[in-house]
Parts: sequence; structure tokens; C-alpha cells
Amino acid sequence: MITDARVPAIQVDNLTVSYGPRPALLDVSVAIEAGTLVGVIGPNGSGKSTLIKAILGFVKRDFGTVKIFGEPVEEARGRLAYVPQRGAVDWDYPVTVEEVAMMGRYGRIPWWSSPSAEDRRIVGESLDIVRMGDFRKRQIGQLSGGQQQRVFMARALAQGADILLLDEPFAGVDAATERALLEVLRQARSAGRTLVVVHHDLATAAETFDRLILLKQRMYGYGPPEAVMHEDLLTAVYEGRLRIFGKLAQPEAKR
Amino acid sequence: MIATIFSPLSETFIQKALLGGSLVAIVCGVVGCLVVVRRMAFLGDALSHAMIAGVGAGYLFMKLVFGKEAHAPAMLLGSLIAAGITVGMIAFVSRVSRLKEDTVIGIMYCGVFAAGVVLVSVFRDHIHIDIVHFIMGDVLGVTDTDLWVAGIVGAAVLTVLTLFFRAFQFSSFDPVAARAAGIPVALVDITLTLCVSLVVVSAVSMVGVILVVGLLITPAATAYLLCDRLDRMMGLAALFGVTSVAGGLALAMALDSAGGGAIMCFCTAQFLAVLALAPRYGLLAGWRRRRNMIPQQLFEDILGSVLRGKPPVAAAVVASHVHLHRGRLARAIATMKSDGLLLESQEGLSLTDEGLLHARRLQRAHRLWETYLARVGVPEKELHEKAHVLEHVHEEEAVDYIDDLLGHPERDPHGADIPEDFVHVEGGAPVPASFLREGRRATVVSAPAATGLAVGQRIAMAPRRNEGRTWVAKREDGSEALLDHAAADAVMVQPDSESGLRPAVRPAK
Repeated sequence: MITDARVPAIQVDNLTVSYGPRPALLDVSVAIEAGTLVGVIGPNGSGKSTLIKAILGFVKRDFGTVKIFGEPVEEARGRLAYVPQRGAVDWDYPVTVEEVAMMGRYGRIPWWSSPSAEDRRIVGESLDIVRMGDFRKRQIGQLSGGQQQRVFMARALAQGADILLLDEPFAGVDAATERALLEVLRQARSAGRTLVVVHHDLATAAETFDRLILLKQRMYGYGPPEAVMHEDLLTAVYEGRLRIFGKLAQPEAKR
Repeated sequence: MIATIFSPLSETFIQKALLGGSLVAIVCGVVGCLVVVRRMAFLGDALSHAMIAGVGAGYLFMKLVFGKEAHAPAMLLGSLIAAGITVGMIAFVSRVSRLKEDTVIGIMYCGVFAAGVVLVSVFRDHIHIDIVHFIMGDVLGVTDTDLWVAGIVGAAVLTVLTLFFRAFQFSSFDPVAARAAGIPVALVDITLTLCVSLVVVSAVSMVGVILVVGLLITPAATAYLLCDRLDRMMGLAALFGVTSVAGGLALAMALDSAGGGAIMCFCTAQFLAVLALAPRYGLLAGWRRRRNMIPQQLFEDILGSVLRGKPPVAAAVVASHVHLHRGRLARAIATMKSDGLLLESQEGLSLTDEGLLHARRLQRAHRLWETYLARVGVPEKELHEKAHVLEHVHEEEAVDYIDDLLGHPERDPHGADIPEDFVHVEGGAPVPASFLREGRRATVVSAPAATGLAVGQRIAMAPRRNEGRTWVAKREDGSEALLDHAAADAVMVQPDSESGLRPAVRPAK
């Protein structure tokens, strides 16, 4: 696909989304450059998941536009891949690891035909990248938390989307899996993909991402971690819980 | 004898019941799988109840406008419209009110069902619908029209489900991602609701309003207990549907009971049998699994006693260490053998590489805890017993914390070697130099200038000095860098792998 480097991969303009009177997102604007690994941080209920779903076009926008490589999001079907939060998945669903990964290809397989050899090859490769190749026939409920997360990562890779949106991929996985997953994310970025990751752990956010979005309904900051992980901004967003983060923000204060 | 059993099959009404019932059961089973995985069972119930209003309205319309009695297509269309209205009202009210969906479904279907009952009874002179028949169904009175309706509906629904199987699977599993991948999720949802309505409508005349939900979800749920793939689950659910109809009809003949009731009784009994006996998700299997499960502590005690006893160790020796009923110990050992942790030969038990790894981690935890306990002033004779309890706290991070707190001790209070931190040192990633034991070789990855070590330098660890508080790193030219705990922590090195574990350490006194 032709991607002009100057056109942002994701451009959100004046986005407002609400569930009832309270806005989930209020006048959010951000332009995310292609080929970056972006973290979305903010307290619970700050609209992080909603932002992801709005970019996917899955929640109704009250106002504002989302453009994917300059095109309206409605016309960008299939160019976006999504990795759901672990809690949002029915782990008893009768589906195997291989089938989940194959779902990434579903958007491209015509309804009258079966997955081609090419589809199978791509699915196999994607599972190998996340090192889940040995678990193909396993039902997904029989995997550990980290393995489950990797299967969904494989599905996103198999889809071959330019943009990957991940909702809390590091929640509930051990440190080793977190490193392995991060490695996969970085590889995807090196391959020119754009990744937007909802992240809950402020302590690791700075070292993990190229850019951070600090969100609490409104946009509090977007930029390199050293610019966003700023004491004033964190205070404004996390309010009374600053004590915990005082330590994190200190290095910035010294400079 | 055989002739007596099969003689009812020559009766036309039985043949029709079997054929019609099977048609309905196959489609119900297949669609039911989606209903079960989407947790829509209650909606199926609602759709079947809402039908009566549609059937009544369709009947009345054709009768009053065209003067036709019991016009089947009109009643079918009426049912679909009633189903559509019910689903629409449910969606609307659950969106605009604070009520949860299950409550709204309950309200709406009862309301529509009641309206239907009133309609049919008010116009009882025009509409000849037997409400009891409608509620209970009459599988033994299947008409040719019923067969045609069931056949056409079944073929249409199965065709749609087969052609668009992937879309149904993806959107029921993960709607957000399905939409992102380009699948029209809303359209798929509407199609599924339509399919469920069609199936319910075609099944009601045979098994009745009350039982149709059973036919929809019970065979599917039975299959759910046996499969890990949706396509296989659908096939199996169709099969269970057919066996329910066949078995139920035989039951009805034998007991001279109502057909619909007998079918559902058989279907439910079939479900209960599978629930009890299913190989993986059944109750019996779960009970056996729990029975074979070894408590973590027992598992660790067995590993520990084999490691300490210089393998191979006779099972009797292990038994003397872990005070436990013989049978349970034998089962535990059998499970650990099949998990690849223990080997059994004629001389006794020994550890596999995997088992050795586990055992060494436990030993390290135990000896670090003993050192810790001695440090905090626990009398020597209580050390072992207390550490024996604490060694089960062997989470890697907790052990690392204790290790660092104690200054990475090399020996426990009894003078026995504490196994090195092989999990990290052999882990392939850089580690602090403080993790390295005497004899290890490594390459410096990063080091503060004050330590006198440079990036890329090769070092070999010499014995520690100053009661283990000073680390000695020998450079290749033979010169030494002396590091205290903080400095050794600050130097990151890439250790040379020593291909797995080092040989067993000196046993404790």
C-alpha cells in the first residue's frame, strides 16, 4: 500500500464521544505519525479504551473525525487490527489457537472460498513470530495469560494491517512475556507499522514507547515520553495520587 | 422381535414426525451453537413466545382481507414480523433505559405473547388456532405443509450459515476486531437474529413454544461439552438433535406420551449423560483431575527429598521424608513421572533435567530462607523447620529480593552451598556482576567508570574476599577489579553459558 510519509497514519480531530451526559472523550485531537509505537496512558476511566474503539470506528462519535492515512475511517476497513483486553474475551469459546490467528485473514478471504495456502503460510509465520507455533490445536482457554495475549498478537500480525491497536496487552502477564511481547511490537514498528497501545503502568511507559498520549477525557499531552511524563501534567491528570508518581517525575524536574 | 420394534416406522404419521423432527432438530442444533456461544438463549425463548402474536395477526389478516383460512406463508411472515418487532423493542429499550438486557427481554416477550393470546381469543370466531397446541406442539400431527416449511427454512438457514461461517464465528467471538478486519458485524448480527427467528418459527408447530428453546440450546450445549471447535460443535449438535428426536419418539411410543415432551426429556437426559461423562469438560473427568492433582507442597517435598538423597532414591526413602498415605504418594510420583520430572529405575527414583531444575530452584529458596532466618535471629535448631515452610515461597522475584538483601550469600548457615541464580545467569540476558559465582566467565556490558571495568572487557570471577562482601573480577591480563555489593550490582555483564546446570552442589551437613 502506498503510504505518504507526510500523511499521519492516524489523524483524530476534535473527537468527542459520550455515554450519556458525561463525555468519555472531549475534543481530542492527535496526529500519529506512521511507524511509531505510541502508548496511551491515563487513570482508570479516562477514555483510553474508548479512544481505541473510536479509532476503530466501533463507538459512535458525537463529533469529530478520524482519518486513517488521510482517508475517513469508514473506508479504512481491514487496515486496522485490534487486540482486545483479556477481560473482554470469552475464553471458553470453542476455538483453537490456529483459528483465532486465521481470523486475521477473514477480511481478505472471499465468502465463497476457503483459506488459501498463502493464508495458512501467513498464519503459520505469525504464530511462529510470537512463538506459539507449538500450540496450534489448543483451545484458547487452555493457555496461560501471556500465551493468550500472544495468540491475539499473532492474529493482528496475520491481518497484515498497517495499524495495530492494542488494549492493555501487558495486563496480567509476567515480566518475561512482557519483554517478549514488547520485542514483537518493536519488530512490527521496524517493519513500518504503527502501533497504539493502551498501557496502565506509568513506571514502564517512558522506556517502552516512542510517543505517549496522556489522556483523561481531554488530551493532556502527546509527544516523546520526556515531554509527557512531566510532573505538572501528571499532577493534573492523576490528581491526589501524585505521591506515587513524584519519584517518576523527578528526573525531569532535575534537568 | 425386530419387527415389533420397527413396526411403528411403517406408520405414516411416525415417518413424518421423524422426518420433520429431524429436519428441525438439525437446523436448531446448528443455529443453537451460535445462540449458546453468543449467550442468546433467553432471546430464543423470547422469539418463540412473540410468535403467537404474529401467527394470529397473519391468520387474521388473510382471513379478513382475502378470506383464506390458515394461510401458512402469511402466518410465517407474521411470525417474522412479530419477532422483528420484539427484537427491535428489546434493543431500543435496553439502549434508552437503565435496565439490563435480560430484564427488557423478559418484559417485551411476555408483553407480545400476552397481546397474541388476547388477539387469538378475541377473534376466536375467525381464527382457528388451538393455543394449547401452539404451546405444547404436536410432533405426531406433522402436516405436509409443516414439512415443506421446515425443509425450506432449514435449507436456507444452513446455506447462509455455511457460506458465511467465518463471519458468524469472528463476529460472535470478537466483534470489535471483526469490524476492524472489515466484517460487517451489524449485518451479521441481524442475519443471525433472522435465522434464529426462522428456525424457531418452523420448529414451534412441532414441539411447541415452550420446548423450542430446549431444542435450540440443549443439543448445542451438549456438543459444547465435547468440542473445542465451532464447526465440529455444529455437526455434533445436529447429530444430538436427531438422536433426541429419534429417541424421544421411541419413548413417546413406548409410554404413549406427548411427542414434544418425550423428545425434550430424551434430549435433557442425553445432556446430563454427556455432562457426567464428557472426556475433558465432564464432571467425572473434573473429579478425576482433582483427585490426581498433587498439592504444590507435596510435589516440592518429593523433589527435595530425591535431590537430597543422592539419586537414585528408593521410593521408601521418599516416603519417610514426606509423611503421607502410600497410595497418594504413589499417585503423586506417577503424575510427576508423566510430567517428565522424575525417572524411575530398579534402583529407585532420580530427577530428569527438568526435575533437577525445579529441585535446584527449591533448594536455593530453602537455603536462602535459612540464611535469612539466621540473620534475623532464629535459633539454629529451628532454622530447617521454618525454612521448610518458607521454601514454598519461591517466586523468582521474592527469592531475588532475599538474595540481594543478604548480599548474595554463597553458603547457608550450615555451610552448604546455595545454588547460584542460574535462572538469571543462564537466562541469556545480561545480569549484575553480583550474581556471578567463583569460576564464571562473562563479558562486561556496562559499568560505571569507578569500578575500573570497561565495556566489552572479559572477566572471570575469582573467590570473593572479606567474608564474601568483596567481589573479585579478574581481567584477562590477570589484574583484578575489587567490587563491593553496590558496585557489583552496578556492573552489568553477559555471562558465558555453561550449558545448563552445573553439577550438584555439596550436600548440607
